[in-house]
Amino acid sequence: MKRCFYHLARLALALVFVYAGAVKMQDVVAFSGHVAAYQVLPYAMNYLVAATLPYVEFLAGVMLLLNVRVRPALLVIGAMTLVFMAALVSVLLRGLAIDCGCFDPGGGQDVTAGVALLRDIALMALVVLVWWLRVRSEE
Amino acid sequence: MFSDLKRIGLEACVLIAFGVLVGLSLNHQLLLDAFSGHLVSPPRQTAQESVTIALPMPALIDEVQQVTASGGLIVDARSPDQFAAGHIDGAVSLPLVEIDTVLPDFVSGVDKNRTLVIYCSGFGCPDSFDLAVRLIESGYQDVRVFEGGYPEWRDAGLPVVGNEQ
Repeated sequence: MKRCFYHLARLALALVFVYAGAVKMQDVVAFSGHVAAYQVLPYAMNYLVAATLPYVEFLAGVMLLLNVRVRPALLVIGAMTLVFMAALVSVLLRGLAIDCGCFDPGGGQDVTAGVALLRDIALMALVVLVWWLRVRSEE
Repeated sequence: MFSDLKRIGLEACVLIAFGVLVGLSLNHQLLLDAFSGHLVSPPRQTAQESVTIALPMPALIDEVQQVTASGGLIVDARSPDQFAAGHIDGAVSLPLVEIDTVLPDFVSGVDKNRTLVIYCSGFGCPDSFDLAVRLIESGYQDVRVFEGGYPEWRDAGLPVVGNEQ
């Protein structure tokens, strides 16, 4: 039963990151616009983040999906989620009205920073849960 | 336990490094352009044209403010509807979709030596670049593209005008 729960949580988390990475890879330029809207990085750095972040998200998601190197992948996903949360908190504190740019950069209105932050908290909880179930299953 | 964590951390770093390398290699041309400061939205004209045409320079948000303070003109390349909904304070509308009908009036009313800054809906929107190329072809000497466009200007809290506020 616990085993089944672990796989469900792992797959859910994996699919979120595979999808997030895959859609952003399709339109790196548009995604860099979303990164720029956060107004935390200098001009060209937005492109650097947009050109690399989706691939790390995708790769970590695939590792999780395939059930290989699960804990390193969880560490990467957890670290990225923490960075996203920090960026969203800074957006809320500065009162910027921007789209979060978390998923499809070419699509219409994405969610606001507040909703995105709640979503990231849920993702973080999922990361901790998968890690914990994984450790338990090995004991 | 500790060596276990060390191994996990190391593998996580390898994972990140691999992802970054793949991203860099797939997008190296875009990044070279961005870091050399020549990045404007991808041109949509044919290859032969782009060889002979002088390309517009990108302008950052601070430069846009300096240009307007020193007598330059901000030009909105978006559709009339979008312009009416909200535009940069002081900008004139020159919609790319109606360029053939609006360009003659613009050319007769605006001096060729005046600095022009073109914008549209931000990153990923090619209209400002295409319009800038048209204006350079029409003889304007100093044409720049404000890549961040209307969204960056509005989000920076700078003055905008329009009926959606």
